Amino acid sequence: MNLLRKSEPDVQKVNRLEVTPVARVDEKESAFALTVELPGVSDKDIEITLENRTLSITAENTVGIFKDYELVLTEIPEVRYRAAFDLPERVDTAGIKASNANGLLILTLPKREEVKPRRIAITAG
Amino acid sequence: MRAYMNTISNPWRVFDELMSGFPYDLVNNALRTRSGYYPRVNVWESGQGLVVEAEVAGVEPDKMDVAVDANVLTLKGERTQADGTAGEFQRSFNLPFELDGENIKAKAKNGVLTVTIPRKASAEKRKILIEKE
Repeated sequence: MNLLRKSEPDVQKVNRLEVTPVARVDEKESAFALTVELPGVSDKDIEITLENRTLSITAENTVGIFKDYELVLTEIPEVRYRAAFDLPERVDTAGIKASNANGLLILTLPKREEVKPRRIAITAG
Repeated sequence: MRAYMNTISNPWRVFDELMSGFPYDLVNNALRTRSGYYPRVNVWESGQGLVVEAEVAGVEPDKMDVAVDANVLTLKGERTQADGTAGEFQRSFNLPFELDGENIKAKAKNGVLTVTIPRKASAEKRKILIEKE
């Protein structure tokens, strides 16, 4: 790969720091909820892909630039968030839903019908 | 030997280790939540005032509080932590000039809080003339 021949936007992409976002999984009766912290990321900059049973999330944040102001303290770098999760067999991959609000990406991973807890009625004999 | 080398590269290591058990981060003037969280910020300054961008993922806009007292800016908030409990965080900045607390503008988008605060009229940058004897 020859970086020198890349056009300007591509070079910036290469320069972005790659980090793993903070994430957690909660289990509910009918689904798992996967929460990923993506502050400063717009919906259009999130890419979620599913390949076999691997769920990959890539996202890029936008850091504000203020004209006529001088940057005096920098703690928020421009980063590329990258995370991958191996989904268990119990997850129904066809029914995955995603929502993004307040910098939290929440993926709902429904459980397959046959693994959901169900009540078995006793038939009067 | 490795532990000793670490102390050379970061002389504050021992201090940091001691302080990590304490909820108040003295160096950054911030109150940590139990998960060790406080918002990261980018601060922009000009003759008119300040712009502060803070990463506050998962904090509802109505659970955030921005306050100015003379030259101290405080960002406060509350968010639900991984274990379901509420975590409070707070971070203050001492500024070299006074701010106009009446005219703060704050907006939250995609988990980033952007606060614009003008300088107090009397705190505008001015040149001091040196009198000749």
